[in-house]
Amino acid sequence: MKDVDKARASRNGFQKYFRRVSSEIARHSSSLLLFMVFCVVIAVGAFMIKDLHTATDQAQRMYAGSVQGLREIGELQYEAQETRRSTLYALTTNDSNLQVEYADQSRSADGLVTEGIAQYLAGARMTRELELGRRLQRDWAEYLKVRDEVLASILEGSTKEAVDLDLSGGVPSFDRVRQDLEEVKRLYDEQASEQLKLVGVSSRRSVLRLVGVLCLTLLFAIASVWVIQRSKMLSALKLAKMQMDFVASVSHELRTPLAVICASAQNIADGVVDEKEQLAKYGSVIGHHSRQLTELVNQILLFASTHEGRHRYTLRPLQVSTIIESVITNTRELAEEAGFAVETNIEENLAPVRGDFSAVCQCLQNLVLNAVKYGGSHPAIAIRAFRGGADVQYGEEVRISVEDHGIGIDASELQQIFEPFYRSPVVKAAQIHGTGLGLPLARSIAEAMGGRISVVSKVGVGSRFTLHLPASQVVGTEKRAERVAQL
Amino acid sequence: MRRLLAVVTLVGAALLLLEVSPGAAKGGASPPVQASATDQNLAIIVNHANTVDDLTLKELRTVFLGERSHWPNGRRITLVMMDPGEPERTAVLRDICRMNETEFSRHFLQGLFTGEVFVSPKTLSSPTGVRKFVFNVPGAIGYVRASDVDGTVKVIRINGHAVDDPDYPLRIEARASK
Repeated sequence: MKDVDKARASRNGFQKYFRRVSSEIARHSSSLLLFMVFCVVIAVGAFMIKDLHTATDQAQRMYAGSVQGLREIGELQYEAQETRRSTLYALTTNDSNLQVEYADQSRSADGLVTEGIAQYLAGARMTRELELGRRLQRDWAEYLKVRDEVLASILEGSTKEAVDLDLSGGVPSFDRVRQDLEEVKRLYDEQASEQLKLVGVSSRRSVLRLVGVLCLTLLFAIASVWVIQRSKMLSALKLAKMQMDFVASVSHELRTPLAVICASAQNIADGVVDEKEQLAKYGSVIGHHSRQLTELVNQILLFASTHEGRHRYTLRPLQVSTIIESVITNTRELAEEAGFAVETNIEENLAPVRGDFSAVCQCLQNLVLNAVKYGGSHPAIAIRAFRGGADVQYGEEVRISVEDHGIGIDASELQQIFEPFYRSPVVKAAQIHGTGLGLPLARSIAEAMGGRISVVSKVGVGSRFTLHLPASQVVGTEKRAERVAQL
Repeated sequence: MRRLLAVVTLVGAALLLLEVSPGAAKGGASPPVQASATDQNLAIIVNHANTVDDLTLKELRTVFLGERSHWPNGRRITLVMMDPGEPERTAVLRDICRMNETEFSRHFLQGLFTGEVFVSPKTLSSPTGVRKFVFNVPGAIGYVRASDVDGTVKVIRINGHAVDDPDYPLRIEARASK
């Protein structure tokens, strides 16, 4: 049994927590939407920056690849020319020392060319690049072979032989090398053009993507602002309507007793009533309606002070039977007038509850008055007090339920009935007057006592409102109640 | 007794010296002296493509006097000399050609005129130049100090002796004796 109570208490606690979170979300919906817009703008900004970085990286890679490649090919061309030029310079002198120097220069230059070709081959990825690199390497090796022979002939002093060798072998092989280098250069140009095209395409794609994302962000922002404005406008309209309804209800509630008081007073003043018994009856009517007016004004003032958190409660242990007795006494007259029979059932050895006596009475009284007001054709009200299960959050509790067999409440309205000024269209249509403050006030009081109000209702069958109050002996409950009361 | 001690001390010192310098025990000369002697040797260098590894002094004389035109592999011989007055050239004229500078010049002028000499020597001013020349020309032959030799050229043996051989026949006179 205890386990069942614990499970129920746990479920109730979770439901309450969920309700509170939902309520917080609903209350801060505008802020949440604005925060979401902010997050989306930040995300879009980050995306744009990333996209720009990508485009810049692509451009840099293209520059590094193509320009560096072209520069290397330019260097290769220069060094190849230098190799040949130095060889030919050696032909222009008979000084062996100078000839050796030129030969040395030629060899230094050819070393750089050979190294450059090897680097090109190492970096080649495409088949065309590899083929071209290998052909260049082969042609260069052939030229070097001829160049060595030419140099040897020059150094030996056989100038004619050197010239013949150069013309027959050197010039054609060097031309092939030059053509190969030109082809490599052309390949780099083509690659650079292709990369440029790719960068252009990528850039256009980025721009389109950015425009798309910006449009979406703009639409989202507009939609968010529209939703916020609409929500605020609807809230304002709803509140205005509720206030108008409230004013109308209050006016009506005030006007009826005032009219009775005025008419009674006028009759007495005009001398229409002169008998003692009639005067007593008129006095009773005036007194009753005056109390009704006072009650109404007090309720409005109490709601205002509770709603603004200005009200201070004095918490102390209270016997449930005392509370119920007080409530029955206060509502007896009204119940009897309406022909309602009130049945009470209080469990034995019930623990006292901790709360403010008049506030708890007011809360319970509101529930009883509602039962009378909406009790319909079956004038019977049952008030029961019993020990509740252990609540995970609040500990042991005592429950006081007020049950009627009246018109009942539709399930869709069960949450709304606790909203201030809310009045069901059904009760409005049935010409049942009220301010829409009774239940909100009861709930505020219950929560201030560290408790809550639950409701079970079925249209045409009746309603049962239960006031859950923490039992007084539980230390945690006391602390909780004190804390809530101080809020 | 004192004499015996002195003799023992001298013998010990001599043994210690032999232990410290094993080369001295083998060749009879200390390493610095040996290194200095090798540096004074004159290396005859040819291109790596040249198949000749060994020449006699007589064959070398024929080559250096321009009386031989081709190597066995058919390559034309190119003779490389250093500038007159250089110790290496002096050593070649003295030990290989057995002529002085005037006789050497006259030999080539006369030989070229009569057709008995087939090769006119190339003259270079530095050992590096000689080495580079030999490296570039497959049929070239030249000479440098043994310490100036590097891997770009091949050193040939003379009369079966390597350049670092103690019995190597070609040596440069010290500059001081010039």
